[in-house]
Amino acid sequence: MSQNQPAIEVSHLRKVFHIPQRDPGLGGAVKALFRPRYAEKVAVDDISFSVPPGEIVGYIGVNGAGKSTTIKMLTGILAPTAGLVRVLGRDPHKERVANARQIGVVFGQRTQLWWDLALVESLNLIARIYEVEPKRYKELLEQFSYTLELGELLAKPVRQMSLGQKMRAELAATLIHEPRVVYLDEPTIGLDVVVKEKIRAFIKEQNRAKGTTVVLTTHDLGDIEELCSRVIIIDAGRVIYDGPLATIRERFGKYRGITFETARPLEHPLTLPPGAEVVGQEERRLELRFDRTRASASQVAAAVMGQLEVLDFSLSEPDLTSIVKQIYGGALSEARPV
Amino acid sequence: MARYASLYGLFLLQRFKVLLEYRLNFLIGASSTVFVQAAGIATLWVVMRQVPSLNGWSFDELLLVYGLLTASRSIEHMFADNLWTIGRQYIRSGGFDRFLVRPIDPLFHLLADRFNHDGIGNFVIGTLLVVSAWASLGIPLLPLYVLYAVLAVLSGGAIFIALNLLTATTAFWIVESVPVTRAVHEMHEFAKYPLSMYHKGIQAALTWLIPYGFASFYPASYLLGRDVGWLVWAGPAVALVLLLVAYRFWLFGLRHYSGTGS
Amino acid sequence: MTLRRLLSRYTGFSGMAAKEFLAYNIWFWMNLFTSAVAMTIFVFFWKAIYAQADQIAGLGFQQTLNYVLLAQVIAGVGESGILWTFGYQLREGRIALELLRPLDFQGMLYAFSVGNWLTGLLSRTPLLLLALLYGLQPPADPLAYACFAVSFFLGASVMFFFEWMLGCFAFYTTEVWGLGVTLFAIQLFFSGTLIPLDMMPEGLRLFAQILPFHQIVYTPVSFLAGITPVSQAPQVFLGQVAWIVGLAVASRWVFSRAVRAVTVQGG
Repeated sequence: MSQNQPAIEVSHLRKVFHIPQRDPGLGGAVKALFRPRYAEKVAVDDISFSVPPGEIVGYIGVNGAGKSTTIKMLTGILAPTAGLVRVLGRDPHKERVANARQIGVVFGQRTQLWWDLALVESLNLIARIYEVEPKRYKELLEQFSYTLELGELLAKPVRQMSLGQKMRAELAATLIHEPRVVYLDEPTIGLDVVVKEKIRAFIKEQNRAKGTTVVLTTHDLGDIEELCSRVIIIDAGRVIYDGPLATIRERFGKYRGITFETARPLEHPLTLPPGAEVVGQEERRLELRFDRTRASASQVAAAVMGQLEVLDFSLSEPDLTSIVKQIYGGALSEARPV
Repeated sequence: MARYASLYGLFLLQRFKVLLEYRLNFLIGASSTVFVQAAGIATLWVVMRQVPSLNGWSFDELLLVYGLLTASRSIEHMFADNLWTIGRQYIRSGGFDRFLVRPIDPLFHLLADRFNHDGIGNFVIGTLLVVSAWASLGIPLLPLYVLYAVLAVLSGGAIFIALNLLTATTAFWIVESVPVTRAVHEMHEFAKYPLSMYHKGIQAALTWLIPYGFASFYPASYLLGRDVGWLVWAGPAVALVLLLVAYRFWLFGLRHYSGTGS
Repeated sequence: MTLRRLLSRYTGFSGMAAKEFLAYNIWFWMNLFTSAVAMTIFVFFWKAIYAQADQIAGLGFQQTLNYVLLAQVIAGVGESGILWTFGYQLREGRIALELLRPLDFQGMLYAFSVGNWLTGLLSRTPLLLLALLYGLQPPADPLAYACFAVSFFLGASVMFFFEWMLGCFAFYTTEVWGLGVTLFAIQLFFSGTLIPLDMMPEGLRLFAQILPFHQIVYTPVSFLAGITPVSQAPQVFLGQVAWIVGLAVASRWVFSRAVRAVTVQGG
């Protein structure tokens, strides 16, 4: 394989599901058996991109956008309806086993470890499945024990682990065969800040030291900011943005969210400083967004407090879901360098 | 092949480590099937005290039939029990995808993932029944006979596994495949007794359609010197053909799965 | 609270059981199929047996056939599955929640079981038709049906409280599967689902009579199969009521000990 061949290449990828339609009850089941009806669902419409070796890419979209269907085609689980997928020069579905040796996958909350086995036993088994050379396995186990702080976890079965411990164990299991391409689906979901940091550092370290290519799907902007230089945003099975994170940050990073808890429900429309607007309200909760280049948090807060009795308020960074919504809504279509 | 054998050994070793952690569950589970078989055998004993034979088969001869079937069944129970729950535990939860991103055969992975200790009880009781019936019936202990019996149990086990594989594969379409598997598996109850006692149609079904007869009636007939024709030699061939068909169907189901996902 | 209101609250649970039952209709057909296979085997089995003898333990072919077919028709209906219920609720950590309801926990599950027995019996109608096809000759005396109904209901109640006691094992083990299978096997034999108890050798038969399992199959079915004459009904019912009273008291005591054991361990 030549040096400048992409690690992942996807062109005009398409996946259409045929979902059987069935009337309820036994009669429906019998009818479906003899005259099946199908509804078509286009999960991935037309997706093209290419990832050079050693890059960390954020692959982003709202639920149902086609993220996991793409990942399933990249890992060889699903066969594409049309289009081309190449991972390290191979067709991941047709050459499933050869592909599987070179990749590692974290499926979010679903563990690949055996529930009742001590972590070290699970790792032994996985190392044998991937035919990791025993000497190399020992080295890696030692390395991971240090960087992921597995220490006392090694003797623990997964069922006794906390969420953060599970994810550390999961990463060790995913990388023990030194895959050249790694797919991480929500690796930090539900974890506290300290653990998140550790996991991000570990991924960065693996990428730097071994040139591992990483495809990361996440809802956490922090993951993207710390790890990815490039993001691909998809919606309704198509790429709607593919480019540097910086561009997105410029366009959308300037927005901050601010949420108020008020003593009484809002009755009159609010007068707000320029650049601020109400994005959501329910009962005694009020959500606002403001452009931080045009207004400051204290200006917005002062304006609201002048008109309402505020019990509490909090500031938030914009999350990816809302950014995707904005891009999809065509709010700033010039932001597409695609 | 050697790689898969040693991998299986490792899976088995890990499984036993877990089982030994829950020693009480292990004992209760492994012995629970003994009780189920004992209920069936005790019933047979109670009835056979009253009459000299059932359709010309003595109590000991019936035990041989029963024992061969139970031993065959135990092979499926121990080594292929995961086929029962593939839909519920692997396909619905997405766990099956994990098998597909590992560099080994997914069917092997599925079967190796859980050795079921509950089958041990069946294996022990089946073997004991065959051995004790063998002794009290005075079947000569010739190498040919012993080899034949072992081969009969192995092909019987293969028939059980093949039929379950065939039905479990429907999980790729309907997810919850247990009712289908159970419907076919249930037919093995017929084979606990000599097929000759049934209507011709049932005999044919248990020979050609759902061939559990090769796990009990035909080999028992041979060992007892009863003339039922060439079919006493057909067991291994039937098992092989059925396994092949089931495996092809499995591959077809797998292709369907990669076309649709879950 | 008036008795009627109290009753209506519990009967609500019986209705729920019926709905839950019908929701699983693929399993329902599956169970019917299993019983149909067993019935088919028994018909051939007993025909072959009676080719050797006119009478076995005083029972003629038709009587045995009637018994065996009817036993298959109602097999399993009188069970309440308390062991599985406890196992499930303990595993999911829901038992504490259930105990907090303003209803008696045992009363609630009992009402639920009564609903299950009724719908269970109705749902077995297809099997009854198959049994008739296989040569079942139902009795002409309407009293036999009444005796069947009463003794089935009482018997199922006996087993409910008995299962309740055994179910308390679930508090002490982590897995009830093996225990459940064992219980199933013992019940299969001693309830008379496979053979009328009359055919067992004397010692075994007495042992079976001491155990409560026969109450949900042998006792009610033998009224219909003409094994137990209707004239013995009062005696039989009285015995069943005595069982119920004894087991109801015992089961509540065992349950409270089991709950305490778990709360002490902090589970």
